[in-house]
Amino acid sequence: MSPLTGLVRYLGADLLRSQRFLLPVFLYVLLLAPLFNGDPGPPPRLWTVTVLVLYPVSCWLAVTVANTEDPAQRQVTLAAACGPGRVAAGVLVTCLVADAALVAIAVCWPMLSTGYAFPGPAVAAGVFAHVAVATTGTAVGLLCARPVIHGVGWSVVAGGGTVFLTATQTWLPPVGLTIRSVGEGATATLAVQALLGLALSALAAAATVLVHNRR
Amino acid sequence: MIQLIGVGKRYGRGPLVVAGVDVEIRPGEPLVVHGANGSGKSTLLRLVAGCLAPTRGRVTGRPATVGYVPDRFPAQLRMSADAYLRHLRRIRPGRTRGTDPAALLTHLGFRGGRNTPMSQLSKGNAQKIGLAQALCSGAPLLVLDEPWSGLDADARPALTATVEQLVAAGTAMVLTDHTRTAETLAGHRPMLLHHGGLSETPGNAATGNATAARPHRADGGHADTGSRTVAVTLRCADPGQVAQRLAGFGTVERHADGLALRVPARDTDALLLTALRMGCSVREVRECPH
Repeated sequence: MSPLTGLVRYLGADLLRSQRFLLPVFLYVLLLAPLFNGDPGPPPRLWTVTVLVLYPVSCWLAVTVANTEDPAQRQVTLAAACGPGRVAAGVLVTCLVADAALVAIAVCWPMLSTGYAFPGPAVAAGVFAHVAVATTGTAVGLLCARPVIHGVGWSVVAGGGTVFLTATQTWLPPVGLTIRSVGEGATATLAVQALLGLALSALAAAATVLVHNRR
Repeated sequence: MIQLIGVGKRYGRGPLVVAGVDVEIRPGEPLVVHGANGSGKSTLLRLVAGCLAPTRGRVTGRPATVGYVPDRFPAQLRMSADAYLRHLRRIRPGRTRGTDPAALLTHLGFRGGRNTPMSQLSKGNAQKIGLAQALCSGAPLLVLDEPWSGLDADARPALTATVEQLVAAGTAMVLTDHTRTAETLAGHRPMLLHHGGLSETPGNAATGNATAARPHRADGGHADTGSRTVAVTLRCADPGQVAQRLAGFGTVERHADGLALRVPARDTDALLLTALRMGCSVREVRECPH
């Protein structure tokens, strides 16, 4: 098994064993449940709300994954796993796996609970929209956790502030634009936003390495 | 061979904690870094281990994986000690052939329960897990920050024996140690970190093997040593024979590779003399509170 897979399993195992992931995920499910058990409307418009909910949740999860280890414990991991680059990659991939699960919940749930038809392009639009928002949430979370921001209080202020500001600007790619475009089912636009989100999360992970090396 | 070339480190905009350090770390020659509290020893060790990037200079020849034991091994993780050791073994790149941590943990007297969550371990038991992940990793470089501190008296000789084996097997090693046990390691190279610079300390090297006995001599000068007891840790080739001979001095406990004794303070000199004559090596002489 490659060391990167080992890191993802290590971070994932601790995320699952600690109860810290429960609160954001519980909140996520709690907000989606009344929506999907009522009449959310046809796809892809029904995903406008879930996209908005997913953004802060993925940000919160990224902070949780990045802060799983005590700073001193992280140093043991850094020494073992050959430096900050590999560890940052492990944190990023762990976040993306969690994002994939959250995206699957939001996309698949209405397919099972509502009677609407789900044509291919609408589902693709839904997947792209959620991926765009989840990965951007991850990017924001990684930049609002250790080693960039150390206090949890500051993480909440910076992460919450960034999420609120970027989600409310409907012209701003990738999140604002996604929230505006998901109702229209603009698949091409949403695919670009998804790629942009992935790029942002990778950039954020690279930035944490830079910050680590400057500390 | 690992080399530090002009390595310097500052935190943020603070002063240089470590400045212009040039040193080679050779297998079989454990580098023991001395220095006052806050002199930057831990920072230097983190730079060697690769968990901190130098502000200036560079570290070359560092292996892909390093066994690092921090000064204080935290245990905030919810996973069990066993799971932690398994995970940490998996994240090490390369096919390093480590040893079984179970044997070392038994040797060190780990009593926390292998399935206990890390966060519920006592400080000493967490420290033993920290030692096990590094010493059993098979990493070609070990960086140990105060490995003997926080361990109970029985575990210390066990750790010393393991460290000695690893040094003999050609593992490169950098240590700090205020218990002065590292000075008894064969081939150790003492260096002093002072004002951020690292220099050889020939004075320390000369007294290397004798330091363990020094505190005892000072103690022997007191007149009222009658009621106090002293704990002595010895290492010997034939513990059975030595134990028989020393049984008259006080209580003797046998360990895998040595003896732990408790004797009245006034008999310590005679005991040490006998032990040394029998070819034992003195590991620790410590006054007991009662």
